[in-house]
Amino acid sequence: MNDLWNQIDLSWSWLTASAQWHGEDGIPHRLVQHLYYSGVSLLFAALIGLALGLLVGHTGRGGFLAISVANIARAIPTFGLVLFVVVIEYSIVPVLIALVALAVPPILVNTYEGLRGVDPEAKDAARGMGMSEWGVLWRAEVPMALPLILLGLRTSAIQVVATATIAAYPGFGGLGRYIIDGLARNDYQLVVGGTVLVVALAVIVQLIFAALRRIVVSPGLLGTARSS
Amino acid sequence: MTGVAAPDEDVNRLITFEGVTKRYPDGTVALDDVSLECPTGQITVFVGTSGGGKTTALRTINRMVEPTGGRVLIDGQDVRERKPAELRRGIGYVIQHAGLFPHRTIEDNIATVPYLLRWNKKKARDTARQLMERVGLDAGMAKRYPFQLSGGQQQRVGVARALAADPPIMLMDEPFSAVDPVVRAELQDEFLRLQDELHKTIVFVTHDIDEAIKLGDRIAVFRTGGELVQVAAPEDLLAHPADDFVAGFVGQNRGIRSLSFADTAELSLRDDLVRPVTAAPADTAGLDWVLVVDEARHPLGWVRGPEVTGPLADAALAPVGGTFQVGADSVRGALDAAVLSPAGLAVGVDGGGAVVGVTGGAELLAVPTHGEHHRRPGKEHPVDTAGADSASAVRDGASD
Repeated sequence: MNDLWNQIDLSWSWLTASAQWHGEDGIPHRLVQHLYYSGVSLLFAALIGLALGLLVGHTGRGGFLAISVANIARAIPTFGLVLFVVVIEYSIVPVLIALVALAVPPILVNTYEGLRGVDPEAKDAARGMGMSEWGVLWRAEVPMALPLILLGLRTSAIQVVATATIAAYPGFGGLGRYIIDGLARNDYQLVVGGTVLVVALAVIVQLIFAALRRIVVSPGLLGTARSS
Repeated sequence: MTGVAAPDEDVNRLITFEGVTKRYPDGTVALDDVSLECPTGQITVFVGTSGGGKTTALRTINRMVEPTGGRVLIDGQDVRERKPAELRRGIGYVIQHAGLFPHRTIEDNIATVPYLLRWNKKKARDTARQLMERVGLDAGMAKRYPFQLSGGQQQRVGVARALAADPPIMLMDEPFSAVDPVVRAELQDEFLRLQDELHKTIVFVTHDIDEAIKLGDRIAVFRTGGELVQVAAPEDLLAHPADDFVAGFVGQNRGIRSLSFADTAELSLRDDLVRPVTAAPADTAGLDWVLVVDEARHPLGWVRGPEVTGPLADAALAPVGGTFQVGADSVRGALDAAVLSPAGLAVGVDGGGAVVGVTGGAELLAVPTHGEHHRRPGKEHPVDTAGADSASAVRDGASD
């Protein structure tokens, strides 16, 4: 018990030490790197996952194939992918590719399932009242599937933020730097400090998506409308 | 008035089916050489067994289904000459579970087509609110969401949504079949009242022959395999079914059903069995059953003449049973009231609930079941939740 408390205390002193908040190796710099890798990966993953998910979900064609590929892709160990690609070309791009590969499946699968779950009667009514296919997608299907689409984005975002630590392995910094350095030096104070930062970031992402859900999802879908 | 203007008499909105066939690639025939006219300003009901093609037929009108043979014309113009989206915006569309958009408020659901037609938002919402009142919804519900409404209310929104851009044609695919019988009867009555004001050309699909008879100006009966068997006015369909299939479909009790077209205004009502509560006991002697009424002639109950010993006010009265409104309810309703009455006699009341007279037995069957279709009882009879009307709505519902 005392050991644990000691660790926490040490980590806390590490986190709050003023030296950690300045310079190349300081927390702000590492945090910006981490957010940059995560943000870029998530952006590309969202573009791919949403486009494919909307296409497959709206047309209903190729759904089985897309979902199968996505699920198989989930089984690929991200770390292995990073090592494999880094060997071919040493740059940050392989790391980003690995993160995108990690993030696409949840977005794709949830978008597809969200669209498929839209009440067929509502879609029929939308078409029958004279919406174009584009209109059916954007005015009916997407708003109704939004809770699941956001869930997919959130799942991916948290996974990416947690996994972007691997960028440090080939030497591209980010918050993973602390964990890898700490493990190499048997400096657990550093490991715990780095981990706490990553967890805090994941919690913040979670909060951002919770807020986003309240803002963009219709109260009619969440069952939160006031009966006035 | 926006959106719900009076019908333009010059606009002739006739729907014509010319040898329409729908054959799917697997060989299934959903429509088999169907030719039919749905007259302007009338309700044409497509009825039949499931798989009979009635919904497919309806969906060929707004190009939700493309026929493989024949053509569908609106005012003589082939529907295929128009773009589907543009065609559909000019045709109201109501489906079974309303198909409301859960993410939109009630007013925005109703304003769907106006928005598609790029009306400005205020005009679209004003129209939506007017329509809410028109279909019997409180305008205070405008900002609510579909999940906060009952099934019946959602269906009213569905009808309002179809009416929003004031289309001359309405397609309704089993719009009332997902609600309970009492609500269904209410919706049907209000629908007929609305149609009396709007005179839309309506195609209405149902599997319920009672609904078809109640609502239809003309009924088209479809058989499995997409064959159109008979097109006729409801009275004619009941009186002269084209074949055994139609006869079987309209049911064993089509004789009773045909009484729906007999007007209670033609009944001769007996006044001699009605006594005010203040009448002398001796006045009831020699009569089997006597209907006791109050000063306003509202019915109080039945009593057997021989059992009256003191003042009528103290007598133990049997319940009135059913009443019918003379001239508004049909003879079918009067017969129903007679069966429910302890005396075997139906009590006819006027619009204010005052007794006009009583009748029963063979008298009820002596009324001719033919007449001008549009004037038939029940058709113009607004639903009102008070008194005899709601009683008759409940009765109709319970007999379903």
